Amino acid sequence: MRHSTTARRPRRAILAAVAAAAALVLSACSGGGSAAPTTELVDSGQEVDSITVAFPGSLANLYIGQEAGILNYYLAATVQEGLVGIGADGQFGPAIASEWETPDDTTYVFTLRDDATFQNGDLVTPEDVVFSLEQAANPETSPNTAYYLMSLDSVKKTGDHEVTVTTTAPDASFLTALSNVGALTVTQQKFWEDNDGKVGTSQSLLMGTGPYEVTEFQPNSHVTLERVDTWWGELPKVKQIRVDFIPDENTRLLAAQKGDIDIAFNVPLNQAEQWKKIGDGRVEAVNDLSYVGLMFDQNVAPFDDPDVRAAIASAVDRDAIVDKLLRGYGEKATTIMTPESLSKAYSAEEARKLLAGITQHDFDLDQAKKLLEKSGSADGFTTELTFPNTGPQLGTAAQSLAENLKEIGITVKVREVPLEEWLATIGDGEHGLGFMWYFSTTGDPAEVNSYMLGLENPNHFENQEAVDLVAQSGATTDPAERIDVLLELEQLNADQTVNAPLWWGQSLTYFDNGIGVHDFTPYTFLGSWGSQLFATK
Amino acid sequence: MTSIDLNPAPPLNSPRQRAGGQGRALGRAIAARIIGVIVILIVISFLTFSLMYLAPGDLVKNLLGTRPASPDAIAAIRAQYHLDDPFFVRYLDWLWSALRGDFGVSIRMQQPVTTVIGQRLGSTVALIVLAFLVAVVTAIPLGILSAAREGKATDRVASALALLGLSAPSFALAILLLYLFAMLIPLFPAYGGGTGGLDTLWHLVLPACALAAGIGAILMRMTRAAVLRELQSDAVTFARSRGLSEREVRTVALRSAAIPIVTGAGLILTFIVGGTIIVETVFALPGIGSLLQESVLFKDLPVVQAVTLLVAATIAVITIFVDLSYVLLDPRVRAKELNR
Repeated sequence: MRHSTTARRPRRAILAAVAAAAALVLSACSGGGSAAPTTELVDSGQEVDSITVAFPGSLANLYIGQEAGILNYYLAATVQEGLVGIGADGQFGPAIASEWETPDDTTYVFTLRDDATFQNGDLVTPEDVVFSLEQAANPETSPNTAYYLMSLDSVKKTGDHEVTVTTTAPDASFLTALSNVGALTVTQQKFWEDNDGKVGTSQSLLMGTGPYEVTEFQPNSHVTLERVDTWWGELPKVKQIRVDFIPDENTRLLAAQKGDIDIAFNVPLNQAEQWKKIGDGRVEAVNDLSYVGLMFDQNVAPFDDPDVRAAIASAVDRDAIVDKLLRGYGEKATTIMTPESLSKAYSAEEARKLLAGITQHDFDLDQAKKLLEKSGSADGFTTELTFPNTGPQLGTAAQSLAENLKEIGITVKVREVPLEEWLATIGDGEHGLGFMWYFSTTGDPAEVNSYMLGLENPNHFENQEAVDLVAQSGATTDPAERIDVLLELEQLNADQTVNAPLWWGQSLTYFDNGIGVHDFTPYTFLGSWGSQLFATK
Repeated sequence: MTSIDLNPAPPLNSPRQRAGGQGRALGRAIAARIIGVIVILIVISFLTFSLMYLAPGDLVKNLLGTRPASPDAIAAIRAQYHLDDPFFVRYLDWLWSALRGDFGVSIRMQQPVTTVIGQRLGSTVALIVLAFLVAVVTAIPLGILSAAREGKATDRVASALALLGLSAPSFALAILLLYLFAMLIPLFPAYGGGTGGLDTLWHLVLPACALAAGIGAILMRMTRAAVLRELQSDAVTFARSRGLSEREVRTVALRSAAIPIVTGAGLILTFIVGGTIIVETVFALPGIGSLLQESVLFKDLPVVQAVTLLVAATIAVITIFVDLSYVLLDPRVRAKELNR
């Protein structure tokens, strides 16, 4: 849901001679892209005592309501559960609730498992569920999850194993909010109160119902997860997962080459080739539900001019960016919503076809020049484009765009800034041209486009039609009908060039060949992934 | 980092003491110093607060990331962290709490600042002490040797080494050390702070060496210069003319050179703090350096204020100790300070 907070490195110059010594030589590109594992792995059925997982940055707090980077979601996913979960296929599945009904558009009745148990051995009560949801909706205790629950009206215990939730209006994405990929990670009321609401810290840790419990957490160092037998699912094979925070990418690579690491999350794209060369491991690429696009703050001239926006969108060579700069680890984005987000109604192939039907700004510098001449800024102008230091691939894309725009008379100054400074530039009324880099965890088709086009959007795009479409998509519960509404919204975005989609991202994960993972899809790490790991033969 | 005047203040003009007032005079001198330090710390806290206030970035966006948020949620966060209060009100709030020993709660971690710092202090102190020891035991003998063999091959090699240590960027040096001694010759672990005791010490060797290189180089050059100056001084010439053996002459020279060396070492110790940020990041160590860097970027004001003050206070204490060492090492200063 939020940009991953990866390593924050001191600004570094070029890794001169030492880089070469440390074998940091970029080799020729080779295509990425396929999500299929390159190695056939067979489950040996054996147990594994302990594995080491490397994260590219430290978590400061483990509660997703308090800190909600993509890595926070990944970690919490195997420790805590919501009422429902998202399966490897992107469809809703049971979690703490074994089943649920929607008697009408605004009422959800959940039947809790009678064996749902916290990691301390206590049974989950409806009161715990009610309390957890109330906390998740409270902007003071859970600034990061409150937004998803804005349409929450009431949550009540309606039986010994039953909780009923109502919304103020029909909200098609509400069920997503009640899962661990949205806003709800069920915890114990007593645990919360014993810790004064300061949960997810190194002192309080977390309390959940998932297959692993947190036994140790030290920010900037590590988190230790231990297998528990209180989970309703199958007992995992790995007894202990130790997550080490290694912010420096070269150190992380060295540690993997040395054999210290079994799994590494978010391998940097520019290091993919070196990770692939590690003898007894493999790199697997999978679409990660992330979106990268250009945004235009319409409060900043000349970006209020649709011709200027269209000129810039026509000057972006998306194919070159994906093939050459991302080395194939990504996909040209035809819309803001990802093909995976349509999975509740369409297959991947159907989804791609549908999305490609939206009007595209194909790469055409002559057309870009014409559009600029037609606009009120025929003589060109100068602007700044910042990108976060955690996304070097955004930087190379920015440079490529700047080269193209120079030819039509627009000067773009590309500047790398710390992640926090970049966040502050979004919709600040000063930066007309900017990047949007968004990791969706919910896989809900409206998550990103409604944010970029609806009320209070950071583009300062004020359009009643867009607001109505967003509202309509929220009120439409049939998945296919809802996607039709969202396609209209995407078409509106293309017609007015409110945002210029660039690519849908992929994440690379490194695995030691001794470890396999069942059902590796964009949703795997958003579920109880610890239980999906196995030892290979 | 806020820079402060690192020069030892001139000796205080204490009023003339009766005989036997030496201890009291020294006590008074130290007391005056401590009051000075407290004033400086308050000034620094205000400067840090102002800089953080002016720095780019927005706490609300840091908390929420790129996700949407309702105006109500934003208002709630602003109210919770008093972001809409006037600047001076916010500073005085902080100061009033700090004076009562309450440094607040880290916004990023939701833990008391004292806890957050306490958890990491050991690691950083161990790293700095180890780095300082490595620097001292290598650089000072090398500096003395270099001065004694001035112009000869030994001197040239030592000077070249110092130049290398001084000019190699510490992250590059850190990665080189990693590659050589964790990968090629797998003597040391590649990252992390270890599990305590000897294991932690083992984990700190490479980071300490990376951190020691820069300061060791400065220390070596300073030692060399101080010893050279003493060897050419009147006192040494006189000692030689009295027919003292070369060994005794050297002892005289080294004892006099000790003063600038100790001063230099004390001041250098205060420069290590900046280096820890890079070294802790490369070696994935949970320390104060990385904490400070992340907190500044995040605008986690309570943490930044507390860490800055801790560092400033440490520097002040070291400076006071360096001044006191004058009293011990230099009979002239001792006479002036205590027997007026």
